[in-house]
Formats: sequence, C-alpha cells, structure tokens
Amino acid sequence: MQTTASHSPSLAAPQQATRTAAAARPYGRYLYLAVNIAILAFLLAPIAIVIVFALNPTPFIQFPPVGVSLRWFEKFFASRDFMHALWFSLEVAVLTTVSATILGASAALALARGNLPGTRLIVATMLSPLMLPAILTGLALFQTYVLLDVGRPTWGLVAGHTLVTLPYVVRTTLAVLHNFDTRLEEAAQNLGASPLRTFFEVTLPLIKPGVLAGAIFAFIVSFDQFPVSLFLVSPGNETLPVTLFNYLKFDLDGTIGAASVVSIVLAFVVVIGLDRTVGLRSYVKL
Amino acid sequence: MSSTATTRPNGLALFILPSALLFALFFFLPIGLMAVMSVLTGNPVVMPKVAFTTRHYARMIGDPFYFEVIWTTIRIGLVTTLVALLIGYPLAHWMARIKSRSGHALLLMAVLAPMLTGIVVRTFAWMTLLSDKGVINETLISLGLISQPLKLMYTETGIVVGLVHIYVPFMVLTLTGVIGRIDERLEQAAENLGASPLRAFIEVTLPLSLPGILAGSLLVFALAISAYVTPILLGGFQIMTLPILIYQQISANFNVGFAAALGIILLMISLLLVIAYNRALGLVSGQRELQ
Repeated sequence: MQTTASHSPSLAAPQQATRTAAAARPYGRYLYLAVNIAILAFLLAPIAIVIVFALNPTPFIQFPPVGVSLRWFEKFFASRDFMHALWFSLEVAVLTTVSATILGASAALALARGNLPGTRLIVATMLSPLMLPAILTGLALFQTYVLLDVGRPTWGLVAGHTLVTLPYVVRTTLAVLHNFDTRLEEAAQNLGASPLRTFFEVTLPLIKPGVLAGAIFAFIVSFDQFPVSLFLVSPGNETLPVTLFNYLKFDLDGTIGAASVVSIVLAFVVVIGLDRTVGLRSYVKL
Repeated sequence: MSSTATTRPNGLALFILPSALLFALFFFLPIGLMAVMSVLTGNPVVMPKVAFTTRHYARMIGDPFYFEVIWTTIRIGLVTTLVALLIGYPLAHWMARIKSRSGHALLLMAVLAPMLTGIVVRTFAWMTLLSDKGVINETLISLGLISQPLKLMYTETGIVVGLVHIYVPFMVLTLTGVIGRIDERLEQAAENLGASPLRAFIEVTLPLSLPGILAGSLLVFALAISAYVTPILLGGFQIMTLPILIYQQISANFNVGFAAALGIILLMISLLLVIAYNRALGLVSGQRELQ
C-alpha cells in the first residue's frame, strides 16, 4: 500500500543505485552460489559414498574403490537376518501407516470442524512427539510393558511407531483443512445432502491429498524409525534399522552399503510417487 | 475461527477420541509411570515392598560424572545447532528466493534426500568418510597433504559433523518457510536506497527471519540432544551422552529406576525447548498476521 506512494518520487535515484550495485553484484552472487553448492555437496556426498561402497568388492573400507561388484547385494538378499528384518520393518510400517492415517486424519477433522475447546493446546500436544526425544517415548513404553508384564509384542511396537508418526498425518491433514473452502460443505448441505453424505462426497475427496501425504510420511518415518524400536523390539524379531545398527557395531563391509541402497531406493520411490500424485511443495512446511 | 470457537462441540468432535485414547495409554500413562519409577526403590511388579526414594536423583547430583555427561550432551547440541544454522541459512535463503519452479523442486529433493535416507545409513556413510582409512584421510594422504591419518572419528567433532548432516534439513525447511514469507520488496527497497545486497540482507532480511532462526535452532537442538545412533557409532562408545547413558542403564545394568530419573531430566530439558519452540512459531505466525 505504501510502496506505490513512495515509488514514484524516487524513480530516478534507484536506477543509479542499481547500476553501482550491479557492478559489485557478480562477485557476491558467485560467492553466494559457490557457498550453496558446497552445502549441497555436503548434503549429498555421503549418499553417493554409500552407493560407492555398496559396489566396491573389498570386505573393508577402501578408497579409492577397486572395482564394481554386486556381491554385497547378493549377501544382503541371501542373509536370513536381513531379509527377516526387511519384511518385519515393512509389516510394522504398513500397520503403523494404516493406524496413524486413520487416527491422525480423524483427529485433524475433529480439530478443524468439531468446535473443540482448547484446540491450540490439543494440536500442540498431538505434535509434541515430534520434538520430545523419541528415545524417551521408547524408554517410557518399554517400562510400561515391563510393568504390565506384556512382553515385547508387535502391537506394542506399532503403537509406539503410531505415536511418533501421527503428528505428520495430523499436520498435513490440518494444512489441507485450513485451506479448504467451507462453503463447499455448506453448499452441499443446503442442496439437501446429509452431513454424512457431505462428508463422504465433499470433504473426504478434498482432504485426500493431505491425508495421503501424511500417510507417506508416516510410512517413511516408521520404516526408518530407530530410537523407539531400539527399546521395543525383541531379539530375533528386529526391524531393519536395528539389525543394521547391530551389524554396524562389528562389521563395516559393503552389506550395510547394499542394505542402505535398498532403503534409499525404497524411500526415493515413495517420494517420487508422493511428488507425482500430490505434489510435495505444500506439505513439507515445518 | 473466532466466531465458531464460542459454539459448542459438534458430532465431529468425537473423532478426536481414538487419538486421545492412544495418547492417554501410550504417551501420558508411560511418561507418568516413568516419573513414578524414578522415585521408587525397585520394580513394584517383581518386588512387593517398594518405597519412595530420591536416591536416583541424589546419585546424579552426588557424582560429577553425570554432570559431565549432561554437559557433553548440551555442548554437542549447541555446536551442532550453531553449525546447522550457519550452513542451513544460505541454502534456505536460496530455496526461498529461487525463481524457477523446477530449481526449487530440485533443491527440495536435495534437502529431503538425506532426510529420507535413515539415521543408521547416514551414520554409516560418515563412518566411511571419517575413519582412519576412510575417504577423507585416504584422499588427503594420496594428495601428500598429510602423512598420518587425522583423528576424525571417535571425537566430538566427528559426532557433530554427523549430527549436522542429519539435522540440517530440519533447519533448512523451517527457515525456508520463514524467509519465503518476508516480502522481497523490502530488500529491493533497501537496495534502491543505496544499501549493498549484503547490507540489505543484514539490516532487513536477517532481523525479520529471527523467529525462524529461533524455531529452527530449538528444533535442531532438541533433536541433537536426544540422538543415540550417531553419538554412539561416531563416538566409538567413548563419548557418553545422556541418551547413551539411558540406554546403557537399561541394556547393561537393567537399572530401570535410574534410567527413568535420567529420562525425566532429558524430558525436562526437552519440555522447556518445546515450549520455547511453540513461542517462536507463535512469533512467526503473529508476524504473518501483521502483514
């Protein structure tokens, strides 16, 4: 509003100023780009290195690599421990995704449409597992299961994972619900649709992208989850990150690299799927 | 929003119940039990006679070792946060200001890729980079720059490098949102009035992005002090942090009470951070409403 007023009187001055600034700008601009490219290299180089070591045939860390082989992939896929862990992780991730999505999406709906008192506090509570140390969630659940003498059941692990993935679903669904034109629902009801029909035919299709995005986050977070799993898995029934961690304590061969590549590929497939179907841009705001 | 807040809850409010039940049973009850366990002499299930005790907390206060552990944890958290801010800010600024849509998508992919790679995998990557026969040392030796491998792994520096890599995406995503909301015309106005781009940044953009800096730093700090995998693997079991100590009390000593007391300390630190984080985010949204 004020910019239009202040714009016209100073029309001549800025042209001069931009000319002198433009002379100094290239170096600053190059420095800016160089710094950022260095940061990107820092972010991405370790991932590239993992792939290099997955393909390097020597059974210890050796750089530069001496060749290309798929022996670590063979070892990974032939190992009963790793395969069991991979399938168990997938099982836990699927169960977690289903429960976190159903619970999180309905909670978001209640928070956005239910006229609940203290909504802000409830939202803050539901998002708190994101910031509270997951290792504490693991420890507290572990103690509870010990006290209740229930052992270390799979449902206990899934409950822990659901708790730490629910915030993602709540957040992405709430984001959609807040940008949502409530007049669409009112219009449907004015035209004679029951609240239930309005929900299934108007609300649900419109919030689907947010729910889906949350579900995919939930899957990835559960699949990579470590601190909660550390306390809640039982020996012989471990998730892939825990198996990798235990292996890593003693061995540094390419099997870890191969397992890493498999999980990286899996994560990328999921992310590209996410970007294709719903678009990432609007859902990754923290 | 304000007009609906006065009306009574409707049928949709019931949809909160399943999540409320989950939080009650698997979040509040366990944390409550942890608090109770931290002041009991033993496990009430196995031992019939348990009594109230403050010995777990007294043990922490009486032994400087535990102060050292807490201080190490906080120190690693602080350095990680500072470095993550220094390298996260330029990238967040670029992401917020880049014009091309595909450029933004590529940057976003680059930031998300490490985030989606898993903590154990990324720690493995840093082990291959930092170890004595790792990529960095071998490269420096073959270039003739050093004759002895640098001690990068099993040091706090190594832990910090690994943690920064893991948590810098959280910093970038938080900052990008905040910087993106700052009106670019403010910078342009400053430059039009003769300020250099650097000065325009320092005097206009930087102060306006302070709430984002605060929120991102608190988030990274909270995540860094609760990290377990990276400190234990890159520290080679030699550097003790609070989460490592907590797990050790469970796995090696099975001292549930002391682990609970340590957990309560970590919880207190984290709760303070969560409250501060929400305040900082409140500042961000308050600013948005003002615009």
